[in-house]
Amino acid sequence: MDRRARRGVRAPFQKGNHPMRSRLLATLLAAAVGVTAAGCGGDDSGAKDDKPLGAGTKVSITVGCMPAKSQPAQRKEWEEDVAAFQKLHPNITVVGKDAFPCMDPNTFQAKLAGGQVEDVYYVYFTDVRGIIANGQAADITPYLGAAKQYPNLDPNVEKVFKDGDKVYGLPRQNYAMGLFYNRALFKKAGLNPDAPPKTWAEVRDAAKKISALGGGTVGYADMSAKNQGGWHFTTEIFSQGGEMVSADGKKSAFNSPQGKAVLQTLKDMRWTDNSMGSKQLLVDADIQRMMAAGKLGMYLGAPDNATALVDQFKAKYDDFGMAPIPGSTGTLMGGDGWLFSPKASPEKIKAGLMWLDFYGITPGQGQLNYARAKANGRPVGLPQPKLFGPNAVGAKDRELRAASANLPVGNFKPYEDAYNTVPGKLEPPQAQQLYAVLDSVMSAVLTRQDADIDRLLADAQKKADAALARSGS
Amino acid sequence: MTTNVTPAAPPVVPVPSRRHRRAARRRAAAPETRTLVSRHALGTTRGKIVYWLVLAFVLVTSTFVFVFPLYWMVTGAMRSPNELAQVPPDLLPRHFDLSGYKEAWRQLDLGLYLRNTAIYAGGAWLFTLGVDVTAAYALSKLRPVLGRAILGLMLATLMIPPMVIILPAYLTVKDLPLLHVSLLNTPWAIWLPAAANAFNIFLLKRFFDSIPTELLEAAEMDGASPLRVLWSVVLPVSRPILGVVSIFTVVNVWRDFVWPLLVQSDPQKRTVSTAISSLAVQVPENVLIASLVIASLPTIVVFFVFQRHIMAGLTAGGLKG
Amino acid sequence: MTTLRPAARPAGRRTGRPAGRRTGRTRFRRAAQRNLTAYGFLCGALICFAFFSWYPMVREVLLSFQKTNFVGAARWVGFDNFRTVLADPVFTDAWANTAMFTLLALLIGYVVPFCAAIVLNELRHARGYLRFVVYLPVMLPPAAAVLLFKWFYDPGPGLFNQVLKAVRLPTLAWLDSTDTSLLSLVIVSTWMNLGSGTLIYLAALQTIPGELYEAAELDGAGLLRRIRHITIPQTRLILLVMLLLQIIATMQVFIEPYLLTGGGPEDSTVTVAYLMYQYAFNFNNFGGGGALGLMLMLVLMVFSAIYLRVSREDAR
Repeated sequence: MDRRARRGVRAPFQKGNHPMRSRLLATLLAAAVGVTAAGCGGDDSGAKDDKPLGAGTKVSITVGCMPAKSQPAQRKEWEEDVAAFQKLHPNITVVGKDAFPCMDPNTFQAKLAGGQVEDVYYVYFTDVRGIIANGQAADITPYLGAAKQYPNLDPNVEKVFKDGDKVYGLPRQNYAMGLFYNRALFKKAGLNPDAPPKTWAEVRDAAKKISALGGGTVGYADMSAKNQGGWHFTTEIFSQGGEMVSADGKKSAFNSPQGKAVLQTLKDMRWTDNSMGSKQLLVDADIQRMMAAGKLGMYLGAPDNATALVDQFKAKYDDFGMAPIPGSTGTLMGGDGWLFSPKASPEKIKAGLMWLDFYGITPGQGQLNYARAKANGRPVGLPQPKLFGPNAVGAKDRELRAASANLPVGNFKPYEDAYNTVPGKLEPPQAQQLYAVLDSVMSAVLTRQDADIDRLLADAQKKADAALARSGS
Repeated sequence: MTTNVTPAAPPVVPVPSRRHRRAARRRAAAPETRTLVSRHALGTTRGKIVYWLVLAFVLVTSTFVFVFPLYWMVTGAMRSPNELAQVPPDLLPRHFDLSGYKEAWRQLDLGLYLRNTAIYAGGAWLFTLGVDVTAAYALSKLRPVLGRAILGLMLATLMIPPMVIILPAYLTVKDLPLLHVSLLNTPWAIWLPAAANAFNIFLLKRFFDSIPTELLEAAEMDGASPLRVLWSVVLPVSRPILGVVSIFTVVNVWRDFVWPLLVQSDPQKRTVSTAISSLAVQVPENVLIASLVIASLPTIVVFFVFQRHIMAGLTAGGLKG
Repeated sequence: MTTLRPAARPAGRRTGRPAGRRTGRTRFRRAAQRNLTAYGFLCGALICFAFFSWYPMVREVLLSFQKTNFVGAARWVGFDNFRTVLADPVFTDAWANTAMFTLLALLIGYVVPFCAAIVLNELRHARGYLRFVVYLPVMLPPAAAVLLFKWFYDPGPGLFNQVLKAVRLPTLAWLDSTDTSLLSLVIVSTWMNLGSGTLIYLAALQTIPGELYEAAELDGAGLLRRIRHITIPQTRLILLVMLLLQIIATMQVFIEPYLLTGGGPEDSTVTVAYLMYQYAFNFNNFGGGGALGLMLMLVLMVFSAIYLRVSREDAR
């Protein structure tokens, strides 16, 4: 071996083995990152600031949830909107950050903890409360004057982004959960697709008939993993008239007759009727995939699920319809919106509010420009979002939407008609922790025939109370 | 499970003193060497029958267990969602339909993620070699003051599996101490930690230790600087171990999941593994499966090409994924 | 980094250690120079280790005694984080699941590769093919392998239940039952990692001198006795090393529950590493995650310490 040693040096290792090179790179790295480090600074003044953003103040903001390249029509509309907005306000630059989906729950907290959020960042309603409590969002109350349409928002939606009197963000989309169903399967099973089930008893009945079609068809599906089981449990307990937590938010309240009714219904459907399929630990995408493949009759969801079914899973709008939540006693209000980075300066916050006002909550503009969406061949007519209160602006929004509707709107009529009569409730505090606890309850009922509902709820209550108590300290 | 290379078997080091052992191994590798069952026993009729039965059993089982799932994956991507839901499924897909693959490539933007991963792996490779080879050489041949202590501290990191310190490591990358910069969503977040690999240094150092000092001294006598000695004497002899370190560095970065999941949270910066895990749920099932195939291809190809090196490296270092 | 070297002297060449005959001063200068060069060579590694290995270890300890939201300064909270995770009912489940996972993974993933290696070592045909095939799954990115198995585990049209049906066996709920969920995780994990163990054992088996078997056979030892008295003792060290490595690797199990079950059903697949991740990234409680990480670190360090001892012995 020793003699062979002298022979040629091989190319592939040249760069890597060059110690000078690597150390040079390290130095360059240190220098380069040192320069970028200077860019961040915080400002935390609590005083009111109603002054409009000066036209001479140059501001650049980064905004989350720009439509991804895989959604060309939405992307084009966003770019048009940004151009129009920047023309109105030449001093503001809007830099969109695209992602699909807008929020990946798996990495969101990492992004948040890592301080990687945009100046105006996208969130689910679910996380808003925790983020505010953690001080990870900026208080925008002093600057709200920059969003002219803000006072027209539905107070129920506004509430999501409020902590006491302080306001932290604006909504993008909102919805009330309802019963999403497969009209095609309803017909096949001899059910009337125009008369969807109104109560849980009727849901159970319909599910039985649909699953009787065989071939792996599932009547009703529910989630039980990745905190989504807890999310659906919450929706279902609201539908039974129950509550998740006590009025002061310090104790859990789901170990109640209503909570038991939720689980008993699921248990009966899963094991007595065998109408919920054998595959469990589902998450939303699994359920949507089943729905789009024509293998699922019903689930609880929001109107925009139709878009996902069509865009991602290649289904047809005509096949789906929506009814109000079974029982119609209450439902979960969900949605998404934007918060502001705790590091954002007052100027950035003002500019961000102006942009959101322009893009998000002014009828006929931005995301609410239905005529343009229709012209671009995008679906219009889903009863979502429902951002405004019962006022003139809200009426105008509904009018514009109806005028451009190109979907089988009638399929969503039962849901829309009931929208204002079903009380909407917000997600509980410590939502993710409670959901994690209830995931385990949901999965127990759906995977174990001998699951003892009383015990499951009692155990879950203990865990949830502990989680709520921890957050209080 | 975080992928990491950890020492298992003693490295195969070409040291003269071990010559007889290597020779023994070479003998053992030849088919005529005596193993558990004697040739005589295999020669009998009964032995022959048993041998062929065992061989057939092993061939069928291992093909079924290891190859069939991959076959099912490759063909699954060719089935329509409806066909995938069919019970019982057919052994062959109804059509030879590659649209699932095309769709996966297009819809999930896999080209971008493969490129990202290649950049991470390539950079990690350069850094690992640059940093670890010089370090190992210094510790092995230059033997500075405190060298043993440094080596000990480095080897001590082998006792702490990467998963355990993933939170503090993440926080460190998020806000680098002293410099106060964030490496998140930059390739550095993968390149630099990859170079902090004690096992590579350990392997390299042991290899360098086995290079006779006379060889280096001869070069030094000729007036070569330490860098020159490393470059033109040590490295050419060390090609086998450099190959092992290279392949495993690249493959480990390619296979890693948790670390890139955390440090490359920007959807544009994901690796192919983290991208499929978060995006694939949003597409029809055949597209999901197609994305799995595409994500697996590069490492499988590497395996085809470098099979012998990988196997040799495995027995040299012991790879535990 | 150009180090000027004194011209070589014939004397030096003869003694082999030229420094030995130098005056003290030259020797000192040479040593200083050598050290300087060495640290120049080492600095890249030192920086990388300091930032990404050594400091995080220290930070792990600090983290577990702090509460932080990363916006303001961290607060010292004493043992609060430990109290929090200890009071969490999932905490004991997570440790029990991790221990069970490790045990099952050992039962399958430890015994099977060794037996496979013994058999493969006896075969005279298709050796290359078998080695290739066994190692193939190791080369898949784990995320891809795990997602692949998620599809196989589907209790309806999934591959496994279809195969079971085809051979007239009762089907299983796989991930969807507390009885089989953990086992399902072990199966994927074993499938992915079996190859490396097998090949390492195979290499070890080939170092056993044939004469030993010869002698044993002359003494009338049967097949099983030869395995017990020769094969196993001869590979004792590598077996021990692999045992420890596998314990360390499997106790960190994360990707399987993360991608397959999300810890369900009924927390039956929540592992310590997964819980740690949940605390940090779902519940936004890095302190709690840090406390869990520290506990796992201490447990694993015990095994690592044994391992390092053993492997050092092995190296001799």
